[in-house]
Amino acid sequence: MSNGIFRIRLLRSLTIISLAVIFVRLFFIQIIEHDAWVAKANEQHTLLETITAKRGEVYMMDGSEPVAVVLNQTVYQVIIDPATTDKEQIKEALSKHAKDFISADLDEVYEIKGLRYYIVARNVPYSNAVKIAEEGINNVWLKEGNRRVYPEGEMASSLLGFVNADGIGQYGVEGSLNKILSGNDGLLKTTADINKVALSIGKDNVKIPAEDGKDIVLSVDRNLEKGAEEIIAEHLNNSNATNAAMIIMNPKTSEVVAMSSLPNYNPGDYGHVKDASIYINQVTEVPYEPASICKNFVFSAAINEGKMTAESTYFNEPYVVVDGIKIWNAEQRAKINNHTLTMKEALYWSLNAGSIQALKFLGDDPDSINATGRERMYDYYYNKFRLGQATGIELIEAEGFIWDPHAEIYGLDAAYANMTFGQNLGITMIQTATAFSAVVNGGYYRTPSIVKGTLENGVITPLENRETISEQILSSETSATMRDMLINNRSWRYNPAGYDWGGKSGTAQVVINGAYDNEMENLIGSYAGFVGQQGEIPDYVIMVKMWGEGEAVGSGDAMDLFESLASFVVDYYKIKPKA
Amino acid sequence: MTLGLMALGLIVIYAIGPMRANVLNSAYGTNYGPNDFFLGQLRSVALSIVAFFLAFKVIPYKYIRKYAKLIIIVALLMSGLLWILAMSGSSLAKCELGECRWYNFGPISFQPAEFLKLALTIYLADFLARKREENEIGKWKEFWLPLLIVCGLSLGLVVVAQGDLGTGVALMAIIFGMLLVSEVSFRQFALLLAVVLVVAVGAIATSSHRMQRINAWLDTISGAEVTDSTYHIENAMLAIGTGGFFGAGIGNSVQATGYLPESINDSVFAIMGETFGFVGLSVIIAVFGAILFRMLSIAEHTEQNDRRLLVIGVFSWTLAQVVVNIMAMTGLVPVTGITLPLLSYGGTSMVFISFAIGLVLQLSCYTSREVIKNEDISSRRGVRGTHYSSRRRRA
Repeated sequence: MSNGIFRIRLLRSLTIISLAVIFVRLFFIQIIEHDAWVAKANEQHTLLETITAKRGEVYMMDGSEPVAVVLNQTVYQVIIDPATTDKEQIKEALSKHAKDFISADLDEVYEIKGLRYYIVARNVPYSNAVKIAEEGINNVWLKEGNRRVYPEGEMASSLLGFVNADGIGQYGVEGSLNKILSGNDGLLKTTADINKVALSIGKDNVKIPAEDGKDIVLSVDRNLEKGAEEIIAEHLNNSNATNAAMIIMNPKTSEVVAMSSLPNYNPGDYGHVKDASIYINQVTEVPYEPASICKNFVFSAAINEGKMTAESTYFNEPYVVVDGIKIWNAEQRAKINNHTLTMKEALYWSLNAGSIQALKFLGDDPDSINATGRERMYDYYYNKFRLGQATGIELIEAEGFIWDPHAEIYGLDAAYANMTFGQNLGITMIQTATAFSAVVNGGYYRTPSIVKGTLENGVITPLENRETISEQILSSETSATMRDMLINNRSWRYNPAGYDWGGKSGTAQVVINGAYDNEMENLIGSYAGFVGQQGEIPDYVIMVKMWGEGEAVGSGDAMDLFESLASFVVDYYKIKPKA
Repeated sequence: MTLGLMALGLIVIYAIGPMRANVLNSAYGTNYGPNDFFLGQLRSVALSIVAFFLAFKVIPYKYIRKYAKLIIIVALLMSGLLWILAMSGSSLAKCELGECRWYNFGPISFQPAEFLKLALTIYLADFLARKREENEIGKWKEFWLPLLIVCGLSLGLVVVAQGDLGTGVALMAIIFGMLLVSEVSFRQFALLLAVVLVVAVGAIATSSHRMQRINAWLDTISGAEVTDSTYHIENAMLAIGTGGFFGAGIGNSVQATGYLPESINDSVFAIMGETFGFVGLSVIIAVFGAILFRMLSIAEHTEQNDRRLLVIGVFSWTLAQVVVNIMAMTGLVPVTGITLPLLSYGGTSMVFISFAIGLVLQLSCYTSREVIKNEDISSRRGVRGTHYSSRRRRA
């Protein structure tokens, strides 16, 4: 064999070896390692994208028509590449078209190294965004997003709540009904190209469409809410109080028609609130001591149990000693001290000795508090009036606290004596107002509600799976007796002809460092009352609470506010006097 | 077989061309139409078929050999001129990613390095055969000096001036393949090989860019995390690996939608792996194998030294491009930027390799039935002119 031919055969061997190596390598990659490469490819090619569901809007009633009070608005973020060469052009375009929405100092943004993406303006409305886009500047992008808009501004802010930057509802209806409002996000799982554009190539592409959130209609009447808040604001201006909370409900249905906690804030600009406590809905989220308003409940219990009547009597002393503690009446007058009084008079003067007497009656022993009395009172407070329990309203709620009748504490009788006049317990305004409704509405406890339902194509559908209670806990006679006592009460001075207006005040001492402030420098004034036609079940129950840190806000302020609100309610609903 | 490969390339480019256009348009703001790459490839195939038949049937090799020196001079001048044009910033030089490798004639571009491969093959066939006849093989002044000047110039213009390491590898393969068969002594051949290897290692070690490629390759085969530099190899292997046994089918390549760089050029083999799977790639390799073995067989049966050397030159050229390209795509060697003959998108390379294969076929018409065993080929000229059946001529 010639040298040349030998060398050609050398090349042939080289070719065979090379191709064999390639063949084996391909077998290894394509057959043996196939699954691993497919897994890697899926990681690289699969685009998982959330299809954001549209958030439902919130409506209030305007008479009988729903009207939107929370809306969605399409807005844009303006994003720039800090390394842009069109620095001046961008600056000019932004100050020209989106001045109020600039969220960053452009000069500082331009100094940022290594970032190719920076948001310089937020919440830019469509009309402004279009103008920026029309400038056609390089390295400027617009990103579409959604913004929650509250067209009524600050109105009912603690009731409505807000939506945070992550799109999650916080506080108020936005928080409590977040699940219904937000709907269910959809999912897009698809094979995508390098620019994350979905391809039709993949075999396992999945598209689950988003389920948009539902529109919610509140039973709150927008005009009533607005008018009531204006009245509250005026009263806050004219009193020591800095804060107020209010609820107006229909006692026949327990449907809430107005609810607020003032001061308000702007839910569209929730981030600029200095004191986050104003996010809280004082009506449902804060247990407190509504004081003498609770006398209604122990009186109702004792009358309903047949243990006393409005005319039952007791000997009224300036104070009562329970468990060695002197419990004083707030009212100290010669004509009532050391006199025999009827229970009606005791409620008229709002005497603590009177409400303690009702507890004694409940225990079948007019001279002392006993376990039977405690048990019966607890049964009414906790099980019937549901005080210290969440009511089940469609809002974020606190439960509160009621002493157990057998609690192993020192001074349990004193604690129960306190609970008869609304201290030494913690209950919310919604609990109190709902229980008060039962006292005056013929004796029916009904779960309060603030949501009429979801709105679809103009039709309101009640929320599903909602457990409600509608139970007669007091006889209609007991209720009528209580109404009569509340209409003719000292803490109610005004009764227009043809109407029954009545109610009960409550002035609560504030606990400071674990003890009641006996100097009375901090007081919370409350009032629960009702309005309606004479001789009928009341049309509306109104409860207000006023307070201010370091301020003594008496029940007089709360009663004044109730009076203004009651007049407004009668005018607004055109409640006619009895002919 | 050659036409079959071209057709296969055309089909694949047809399927992935629109994806490539889309990727380039979105990344660089270019304005490619969805069928631009297919039409470009169609034009290249048409031109290549013309070149193939010109070499096969029209231009006799003896004329080509006659102008061998002129051809290499023209080829070197063309590369040299491109370098000068690129240095002077002329618009006639077309540059991509900082490397100026093309002449720009409006809609048509031309890569002189591809012409240089053919020219060097033709020149070396003539030179080595002549030196053998003149019995000057291995002599310093008469053989090595002119050889090193021409080869050095060619490599310098391609690797240094145009930064085209891929073509450099192909040129090296042509030079060493032809030298091996030219019957240069093994000692001198090995010495030259050693010197070139030392220079190559030196060139790699002194260049951070080349070291990065080597490191990227080492990282990939060691399974390290994907970085910017390992991205190309990693994604080529990912395309091949996902192809599995039968592949995803034509038009179903996901890697071609922008993940794999150079999807229609250097990486087309990987896309074919994803599309046709192990079965398809085995067929493609078998076809290339058949072409290569056929060339070796032609070389074995060719009596005339210059012709045999020419066939070996074309063989080495094809082998280098096929093996280095596929090995790079499968992570066996670092990525050098070399196209896959007849399949990759790119007009100039396809036209010249088609011409070269056509030339080999022309020479196959003049082979002996017997393997040439006698060293003194000049004594067997009488056998020249034997015509084989058409079956044997297929390559």
